[in-house]
Amino acid sequence: MKNSHLIIAFALALGACKSEIKKEGITNDASKSEIQEVNVYTHRHYEVDQMLFAKFEAQTGIKVNVVNAKADELMQKMTLEGKQSPADVLITVDAGRLVRAKDKDLLQAIDSKLLTTIIPSNLRDEENQWFALTKRARVIVYDKDKTNPEQLSTYEDLTAPKWSEKILVRSSGNIYNQSLMASIIAHKGEDAAKTWGENIVKNMARSPQGNDRDQIKAVIAGEGDLAIVNTYYIGKLLNSEDPEEVKVGLRIGVFFPNQDDRGTHINISGAGVAKYAPNKANAIKFIEYLVNEDAQKVFASSNYEYPVNPAVEVSDLLKSWGIFKEDMLPLSKLGENNKKAVLVFDEAGWK
Amino acid sequence: MKLFRFTYLRRDFNKWSIYTLAIIAFIVIPILTIFFKLFSGPGESWSHMIKYLLLDYSLNSLYLILGCTLLTLVFGVSSAWIVSRYKLPFQRALEWLLILPLAIPSYITAYAYAGFFDYGGSLEFLLRNIGLTSSKFSVTNIYGLIFVLSISLFPYVYVVSRAVFLYQSGRLIEASKSLGASEFQTFFKIVLPMARPAIVGGLVLVLMEVLNDYGAAKYYGVHTFTTGIFRSWFALEEISTAVYLSAILLVLVFAIIGIERFLRGNRSYEISGKSDFKLPKLALSPSWRVLVFIVVSIPILCGFVLPLGQLLYWTVLTFSKVASLSFITIAFQSLGIAFLTSLLTVTFALLVVHFPLWNRIKLLSKSSHLAVLGYAIPGAVIAIGVMIPTLHLDKWLIKVGKQMFDLDLGLLINGTLVVLIYAYIIRFIAVAFNPIEAGQLKIGKSLSESSRLLGKGTLKTFFKIDLPLLKPSLFSAFILVFVDAMKELPLTLILKPYDINTLAVKAYEYASDELVMESALPSLCIIITGVIPILFLNRLILNGTK
Repeated sequence: MKNSHLIIAFALALGACKSEIKKEGITNDASKSEIQEVNVYTHRHYEVDQMLFAKFEAQTGIKVNVVNAKADELMQKMTLEGKQSPADVLITVDAGRLVRAKDKDLLQAIDSKLLTTIIPSNLRDEENQWFALTKRARVIVYDKDKTNPEQLSTYEDLTAPKWSEKILVRSSGNIYNQSLMASIIAHKGEDAAKTWGENIVKNMARSPQGNDRDQIKAVIAGEGDLAIVNTYYIGKLLNSEDPEEVKVGLRIGVFFPNQDDRGTHINISGAGVAKYAPNKANAIKFIEYLVNEDAQKVFASSNYEYPVNPAVEVSDLLKSWGIFKEDMLPLSKLGENNKKAVLVFDEAGWK
Repeated sequence: MKLFRFTYLRRDFNKWSIYTLAIIAFIVIPILTIFFKLFSGPGESWSHMIKYLLLDYSLNSLYLILGCTLLTLVFGVSSAWIVSRYKLPFQRALEWLLILPLAIPSYITAYAYAGFFDYGGSLEFLLRNIGLTSSKFSVTNIYGLIFVLSISLFPYVYVVSRAVFLYQSGRLIEASKSLGASEFQTFFKIVLPMARPAIVGGLVLVLMEVLNDYGAAKYYGVHTFTTGIFRSWFALEEISTAVYLSAILLVLVFAIIGIERFLRGNRSYEISGKSDFKLPKLALSPSWRVLVFIVVSIPILCGFVLPLGQLLYWTVLTFSKVASLSFITIAFQSLGIAFLTSLLTVTFALLVVHFPLWNRIKLLSKSSHLAVLGYAIPGAVIAIGVMIPTLHLDKWLIKVGKQMFDLDLGLLINGTLVVLIYAYIIRFIAVAFNPIEAGQLKIGKSLSESSRLLGKGTLKTFFKIDLPLLKPSLFSAFILVFVDAMKELPLTLILKPYDINTLAVKAYEYASDELVMESALPSLCIIITGVIPILFLNRLILNGTK
């Protein structure tokens, strides 16, 4: 604001002196290049991110301005702001939203050798408009005292009659469920996905409610036997400030489904450079910074996420759940099938 | 005929008509923006919506309306009557404690309740310590939602009913009693009908909050129109479908407002002057006293003590993690924004109440009620409604800047506090409008009419007569808006500037990230900043009765 006032005053003064307008243009440019900054629109609001942003500032001298909101709202904002959008980087917590941002023409392709070599191809956009930063797996958890994991096999098996009124899962409004459904649509087609949804609804222990943590607690409370949840939240539960939550975390077992066929469904948190990014070079530097080994180690150790940089080891906690086979479906499919997934959920009666 | 009307129009037209139009336009434009989107037709998923979801949304919203109406009336009117009529232990404390549930955002109350009744939650812990095992009791369903919303919103009804009971009922109760009517008859035949417009006004606020609620309904897995709007807006990416749902929601709200107007009819509840008569409070027999005391304690315990206790426990667990310098900055930013918002909103509400009164065109004098609509529209929808026209303005400014001065201006209005507060004003003007309008109704027209007959101008009369008499209403309005602004969430999320954060947003960020415990500290701060002005409000009502 202040800057623009100054510039207006300056312009008027110059106009009065009948100087050449060009001069004003030069000062304008000069004042712009003085401040090195990058404007980040992010759906992630974790402590660890702020720590990494601060490190990035210290290392490069580029100031990081953060706008925190849900990805959908950020995208709305970017759309409405159009060419004037100050956004440089968009960060979301799922692949579907990144694909949507790309479809809405909010991102631009960037040319970074570093990113394309580090990040596996299924974890980034084929036109290099977005890149994964971290991974989470959607797994099945069970009460170790009650359920024998040998009974478990696949997401599809959860529809078997033996699990009648045993399944706990949150509402279909949740993006992680939508992405899981989108992956099933991609692998098996819409009709099979709908049948899967209907049968899961039949096997639900209760009408969907609460978040992932609540599903895990409900398993231990005995409301159901199995819950479909993200690995990230199991980590959160085990490191909770509430001793009761830690107890719950210790009692559950983690099962990675579909190990004998396509692999366990994974989702990502990822970033892309905004189409009208005023600080494009800084934006690229910023994303590159987040996938380097140091930053990835921080993600892996303090936020219970799987690193995308293959050179970085997963944390001990994540290791204790076991190494698993990932579903290698290109994550762009999750975005492409997102809307279908939402509609299929409604048709299946999954609230 | 038409010609006559036109001459009337010319005769009645004055500058206040223009001002009325201007201020109504200022407030209604963003809402109209959403309305115009209606003409672009329903989205492609509209038939899907009708087939699979609409019935569910309608029934749930209907149950919520009915359930919350019943519960808030029971909690609000009963407690207001008891504290204004009977001598009770801790009388003064009870009076303000009953307003405090309003200081807790209903979604936070919802989280606290879920945590309290959760597996491994506080209830289980407490029961275990006294040697009991609990039977599993789930609150995360529609009945729980009705209870949680009612217990956190009933003070809207309590505040207005108590004001009427305290200010207006004294002489009539005395008369009724001296003519031999029983306490019971007096309450149902005299007090309640007289307080009805005020109570219904409070209830309308409650219902608008209920229909606007997103956080609590989402967490409890109850699908309402508002969750449906968010879903079709963001998950289906169909603004047109969301707008259609909003339109249905608006019809519902219109119906509620219409019913209120119909019930009020043409009756006017002017009391000759302000009642300076204070009815002596009745003493009760000891056993009745205990019973009545328990009755008023229930809403306090459920609406304030229990969620507060849960939040305090969570805060103890997470304090060191959450508290920091940046947290304090956020707290101050929140306060500043809420203060500015309240000031401006009350000013606008005052104008919206009075401009139409001063203008002589009948049609326009009714139009002020349009301004109240903002409160019925979900915050996110208002945010978009504000964003679209202000962006047009911004783009125009950029164009002008480019053409006239060869400047690259960037967005001057969007992304600043101006837009955020503009949206707040639209959202909260109803909150300020209702007490001010009620106050104006109570004052009546006779005083200002006499003043004008004696030759004082409109403005002079306003500043010398209406404004001083309205002071208590203005102050109530200010505080209600302040508390609401502190709590507001969806709109703030979309419109807040870069470098500014609010406590509500911080609490939400934690909660939506499944860090409900961490959200306790910012929630507590919202509650504290809500509690202090509420205590002032209470003192004001008390002073008024002296």
